[in-house]
Amino acid sequence: MSFDWIKLLGFIVTPLIASAVGFTYMGLSRKITARVQNRIGPGISQSFIDVVKLYSKKTAINHGLMQHMGPVFAITASITTLLFLPVIKDSIFFANFSFRGDLIFLIYIMVFGQLGMALGAGQTGNPNSAIGVSRGLSQMVGFKVPYVMALVAIMIHAKSTNLQEIIAVQDGFRNWMVFQMPLASLAGLLAYLGYMGYAPFDVPFAPAELASGPPSEFGGKYLALMMTSRSIFTFAKLVLFVDVFFGGASNFIELLIKTFLLYLFALFVGLVNPRFRTEQSIQFWWKWPTAIGALALLLVAWKG
Amino acid sequence: MEQLLNIPAILAIAFAGSILVFVTHLVLPRLRTAVVLLLTLVPAYLVWQLPVDSPMVYFSLGGFDLSWGTNPYSRLFSLLIAGIGVLSTIYSLAFMKNKARLGFFYLAFLATIAAMYGIVFSQDLLSLFFFWEIMTWSSFLLVIYYRFENQQAGIRYFVFSAVGAYALLTAIVYLYSFTGDLSLAATFRVIPQLSTTQLSWITVLFLLGFGVKSALMPMHVWAPDAYRSAPSPFTALFSGVLSKMGVFGMGLVLFKFMGGLEPGHIIREVLAWMGGITALLGTFYAVFQTDAKKLLAYSSIAQLGYIIVGLAIGTPMSVMAAIFLALMHGIFKSMLFMGVGSVFHQTGSLDLNELTGLIRRMPLSFVTVLMGIITVAGVPPLGGFVGKWLLYESLITSNHYFLVIVLFTSSTAAFLYLYRLIFSIFLGQEEREFDHIKEVSWVMWVPMLILAGMTLVTGILPGIFFGPIAEAMQYLGFPQIDWQMSVLFNPWGNQVDMLSVITSIATVFLLGLAFITWKNFRTTRYVTTKDIHTSGEMPTENENLTYAIDFYRPFERAAAPIFKYKVTRMYASFAENAEHLFDLLRHVYTGNAQTYALYVVIFLVILIVFSGWIFGIQI
Repeated sequence: MSFDWIKLLGFIVTPLIASAVGFTYMGLSRKITARVQNRIGPGISQSFIDVVKLYSKKTAINHGLMQHMGPVFAITASITTLLFLPVIKDSIFFANFSFRGDLIFLIYIMVFGQLGMALGAGQTGNPNSAIGVSRGLSQMVGFKVPYVMALVAIMIHAKSTNLQEIIAVQDGFRNWMVFQMPLASLAGLLAYLGYMGYAPFDVPFAPAELASGPPSEFGGKYLALMMTSRSIFTFAKLVLFVDVFFGGASNFIELLIKTFLLYLFALFVGLVNPRFRTEQSIQFWWKWPTAIGALALLLVAWKG
Repeated sequence: MEQLLNIPAILAIAFAGSILVFVTHLVLPRLRTAVVLLLTLVPAYLVWQLPVDSPMVYFSLGGFDLSWGTNPYSRLFSLLIAGIGVLSTIYSLAFMKNKARLGFFYLAFLATIAAMYGIVFSQDLLSLFFFWEIMTWSSFLLVIYYRFENQQAGIRYFVFSAVGAYALLTAIVYLYSFTGDLSLAATFRVIPQLSTTQLSWITVLFLLGFGVKSALMPMHVWAPDAYRSAPSPFTALFSGVLSKMGVFGMGLVLFKFMGGLEPGHIIREVLAWMGGITALLGTFYAVFQTDAKKLLAYSSIAQLGYIIVGLAIGTPMSVMAAIFLALMHGIFKSMLFMGVGSVFHQTGSLDLNELTGLIRRMPLSFVTVLMGIITVAGVPPLGGFVGKWLLYESLITSNHYFLVIVLFTSSTAAFLYLYRLIFSIFLGQEEREFDHIKEVSWVMWVPMLILAGMTLVTGILPGIFFGPIAEAMQYLGFPQIDWQMSVLFNPWGNQVDMLSVITSIATVFLLGLAFITWKNFRTTRYVTTKDIHTSGEMPTENENLTYAIDFYRPFERAAAPIFKYKVTRMYASFAENAEHLFDLLRHVYTGNAQTYALYVVIFLVILIVFSGWIFGIQI
């Protein structure tokens, strides 16, 4: 393997761009939420200001080594997920490791950060954190079922588990997975709502009820790193879903449009819905999305 | 040393060793530790040195020709036995210190290890059965080590083992009626001549026999209590290695005996689904356990479900996955049982509702359990991921779409019980009652950390297992299998490069850790777990802030309709039914030798009267 400066630059620049886009989207979401609720809301750059303020805090407290390392686990998983995603179709600069991992690897590495966070939050001893983790993990069992059904159906349809190749079979607008496999995509997009964690599926982090749950004991540099991780992870999730269901993106503008529309979808669903209880959201996913996913699998099995 | 390098010598040393330890304990208790160490290390070393193609040993016993030998498949399992056997023995030296009846304990412990060596080296069905029974007996003795409170568990284990053993014996006798020779080689020659029906019966009987030991549902009933009751060092061996003997046997039956059972055969599909359901239900039961060892026991049942799925599917990749998972399970489950055992050793409790906040008291046990749960969860970069990945990809590429969903659901639900295990024991509020707890002695944490290191090594370089597994699979009748040191790939040509994964994870992790530690190093303070954000209230010293009881109540509520009724009630009725079954069996097992003699006579009469009908042969 010859050493390639362009690639190294890609490894460094991709997370930076992802973070910038993620923070912008978070800022926009606050603005949009405010406008929907007939408020003026903060400026779009508010998330940047928040994170810069947190990074410049002079003191920090922790409850032990595991909490100290929790945010590091989170950012490790976020950046690794991002590096194994083909951010832009056929781009050498953004390819990073995307030939060296596949969809099942991505499903698993995405849990790595959540597990680390859950462990970190666990050590704080705050009961709200533990309750949040318990709810979050329970919800994960809920949405993972339709999610995996959708992905397995698509992997079988594309005869590949590699994202590059899954993008390749979606050449042209009409061949996007949402049109090739509408049922699987529907199941996948309903599961996507759970992944994003907006209402009605925001019970693990419910701010008014659990004081934000798992992150409630993190402050200063810890919260700063967690927010950075969250911005990257949000972007990575959006890219993953765009790659799987909407044919990827061949340039940066296209990527921004697609990811932002997908982001708006989760946001708008959240704005008009109240919060589900944990068991309600689990049962929601185990009913219709799972049935649709099973149907999609049956169709694929019947065709293949 | 050279002349000791043969199987009879190894088995003789191993078996004689167990008796010698017993005698030493009676005569010279001071030397016990040294003798135990010596008599575990020497056979393990000899097994390690044993060449793969060591000559077969033949001898005759009571008119039957017995043969022992090694092949790549048995070597793989013998190394697992040797490795985990040595580590759990070392662990037991500190764990069992000052306990009663140590001679008895080590007699049974070493005999179990010796019997397992015997099983994998057997080249004929009779010695296989013979060693199988010794293993059952000696492990039974350890299940009832803490005598009275564990009688139920012990009897349950023994009854199920006995049923399994009879199934095995019937299968062996049935086969013998065709071959007239019990050696595996002769059996393999005869098998192709049998009809499909005959083959199916033999397969089902063998699978029943081996399935009991690997706790395949619905034959798993004995496992949770037996794993729970046995002393922790033995549970590590029990769940880690002894249950793999069932897998070893199933592998032999499914590939070596039943070469005619092509992938997609109904028996294979049924077995695969049984494995899948075992994985799913085992996981769901584990989520609702409040006893750490019982939780791990159900987890163990579930994990063996994955292994059986892989074996049953029978494509080269799925078998590779199954054997890899079997080895990994040997490593991570022994390490988890050791970790939880350490906690029990120091605190005297296994209750997840009671334990809390031990992380700063027992950091090394925490690291062990942490690595263990990451491996069970199958999160990269540790070795569990490799096995899970291979299994999922093999299922997807061999058209088992719904089975892969079942396994995925199971492994997602596994996060629940894994998090609960580590959270309830090590994380959460630190309570004063545990302030005096210290880390276990190095005799216990060294074996645990060695195993923890193994999970990392196998995650980065899974090839160190792929090589021996590929050879073992060639022995089982698979063609030459391609493998690479650290790249996983599926039949569609998609790959995961574990070196890239570890590069990315290690780089970001170390940079992140350096950053977060270095930044504000001087002004970062440690505060206690009582000093938390509680919306302005100051929690007092005695206020209970531990969230542990009914940890997954919302999940329980959500899953309740699927189980039709409440999980606890299901347990009750389950236990009740099981008890009825045992009650029935108690009438059979009267404990009166006369009755047993009568059974034997009745059995023989039935055999003779119906032999023509059962075996299709005339006497």
